Amino acid sequence: MAYDVRCVDLGKRYLLRGPSGRWLARPARARREEFWALRHVSFDVAPGEALGVIGPNGAGKSTLLKLLSSITAPSEGEIRIRGRIAALIEVGSGFHPELTGRENVFLSGTILGMRRREIAARLDSIADFAGIGTFLDVPVKWYSSGMYVRLGFAVAAHLEADVLLVDEVLAVGDAEFQARCLRRIDELRGRGTTIIFISHDLGTVERMCRRALLLRKGAIVAEGDARGVVTAYQRSVAAGHGEPIASPDAPRPLRIQGLRVLDRHAAERGVARTGEPVTIELALHAAAPVSDLVAEVRVYSYENGALLFDCRLPDGGVPLGPGHHVLRFQIEALGLLPGAYTLGALIGPASGANAVDWWYGRTTLHVEAGPAASGTFHVPYRWSVETRRPDPAVALREE
Amino acid sequence: MAHLAGPAHPALEPDGGFSRPASRTAGREREIVIRPAAFSLGRALASLLALGRYADLFYTLTLHRIRVRYKQSVLGLGWAVLQPLATMAILTLVFSYIARIPSGALPYAVVVLAGLVPWTCFSNAITTSTTSLTGQSQLVTRVYFPREILPLTYICAAAIDCAVAGVLLVVVMALYGIPPGPGLLLAPVVLLVLLALVCGVALTAAAAQVRLRDIGVAMPIVLQLLMFASPVAYPLDTVPARFAGLYMLNPIVGIVENFRRAVLGTAPPHLESLGISIAWAAVALPLGYAYFKWVEATAADLV
Repeated sequence: MAYDVRCVDLGKRYLLRGPSGRWLARPARARREEFWALRHVSFDVAPGEALGVIGPNGAGKSTLLKLLSSITAPSEGEIRIRGRIAALIEVGSGFHPELTGRENVFLSGTILGMRRREIAARLDSIADFAGIGTFLDVPVKWYSSGMYVRLGFAVAAHLEADVLLVDEVLAVGDAEFQARCLRRIDELRGRGTTIIFISHDLGTVERMCRRALLLRKGAIVAEGDARGVVTAYQRSVAAGHGEPIASPDAPRPLRIQGLRVLDRHAAERGVARTGEPVTIELALHAAAPVSDLVAEVRVYSYENGALLFDCRLPDGGVPLGPGHHVLRFQIEALGLLPGAYTLGALIGPASGANAVDWWYGRTTLHVEAGPAASGTFHVPYRWSVETRRPDPAVALREE
Repeated sequence: MAHLAGPAHPALEPDGGFSRPASRTAGREREIVIRPAAFSLGRALASLLALGRYADLFYTLTLHRIRVRYKQSVLGLGWAVLQPLATMAILTLVFSYIARIPSGALPYAVVVLAGLVPWTCFSNAITTSTTSLTGQSQLVTRVYFPREILPLTYICAAAIDCAVAGVLLVVVMALYGIPPGPGLLLAPVVLLVLLALVCGVALTAAAAQVRLRDIGVAMPIVLQLLMFASPVAYPLDTVPARFAGLYMLNPIVGIVENFRRAVLGTAPPHLESLGISIAWAAVALPLGYAYFKWVEATAADLV
């Protein structure tokens, strides 16, 4: 099979108590604890393919990224890469505060492997992408933190590569900038760049990639069609087999176990149509009785993360006994226009200041076209035509 | 009826402005193979050959070093002159006026400055490049580029300072009316040996510092010892004959002494010590580079 990237039996071992400890202070029989961040990982990425890599924290995603980008060497196995590889990461941390934006672009651009000639040719485009306009000749120490990050990312976004590594783009900048980054990746994908997308953001992986790998504890546990792998992962998280991503693992009196959208046939496909009824189900577990549960399900724009609407329990909360519960919000006619949406949820007692558990980004909804509509949302309506007899008064005036 | 056509939302238009070839980049057919780290002279040679592609990075970073160093100082590049000049004044005061070290026919200040030019270059290059990897962890842990570029740019910046100090030496010699020696042509050879030695030592020290932070702490002391164990503040012939054999094992001795003799023409070249320096450089450069590449492969885990 033709490949752009091939990993064969890849492994990375870290020594938890490494050899750089103090000699004098080290006990006579210090034990070096081994930890395999990745082990026996093999996969191919075909030319032009977009591969998603997902998994909980500590699964080995960042380690894989570091190995692929040569930042650190594997402990065993090998990686073969055909063509030029580049990582789409924010490089602002390599900026020097005393130098101007322009000088820093040249500095970080060459660090990323670009030639000065290439950078000079793209300087305007980089400044545009970062949206820093006239600040290009100002020392970056005067930049706002947003400008700093955007410029750092813009440089990386202008790399020319055959294989592009993308890591957590959505963590960078504001919603508009994130959308711009995603469009840029889409554009590169359209031009045949091979992409390895390493992310927590299941919605983006599902949208960008045809194939995905699920990593857990340093090994590939699922591989195949992106939607299937994402769904398998969501199920395992919801069923409590996996580690949740959004909420920390501490024991909680209330815990969200899953969030899903059912279409009008009560099927969970992650797809619905504008104007059709849908049901949002929030599965939760209460360790003890709650007298005033409040819950909110929020629907966000996939493109820019803006909150579009929410469904919530009454403000005073509802009583709930201990055990597993499924909370249903039934929407009679979906007001969302065709597109991609991200769902989130929050639960907690009405008397508490903060939510006890939350869920974000793991549930996505793709809305397909129902009745034709334009604008920003669809509202359910009825229509009719009434044909009237000529009004004598009007007729009189017309004369 | 079809959906009414209207203007598309501007936010959904793809970014214009930059172009990118639809075909693959020129290096498309090249296959990179990444394997576990190992100490290998062959791999070091291969990485040396691949270094040419990073010429622009080397240039930009060196420029950056020089710019940043003097960006907020009033004297700017004047420091490159002032630093050896001040050291010369101090050493002259202490060794010539107080300790009364003989300097032969020439004024002590010129003799010491001729020794300081190669020594300062060595000392500055080693000091700055030792912490070149550990001091830039945010870069080393996020982006890959051949890490040897970091110490090499510090060496290059030190070499530029050395050139400025060399101009100072010429000016001082002119002021004292001292003509250059007949062996002046040997000076570039000596500087070349110095460069090779500096590269070998700097690469070793920078890599060792990644594994053992003690190196960076110990380096100023080691350099100070090394300076007094080299004929910088005094000429080689003042060293007692019974220590001379041991003394000349120091690789800096041959460089400092021969540079001074070549420039000032005080004596014919001291070939024995120069031979020892060349031998050191010939061993340190390949081994230092191979060691550096070995440590570099996993440096990001340790910095």
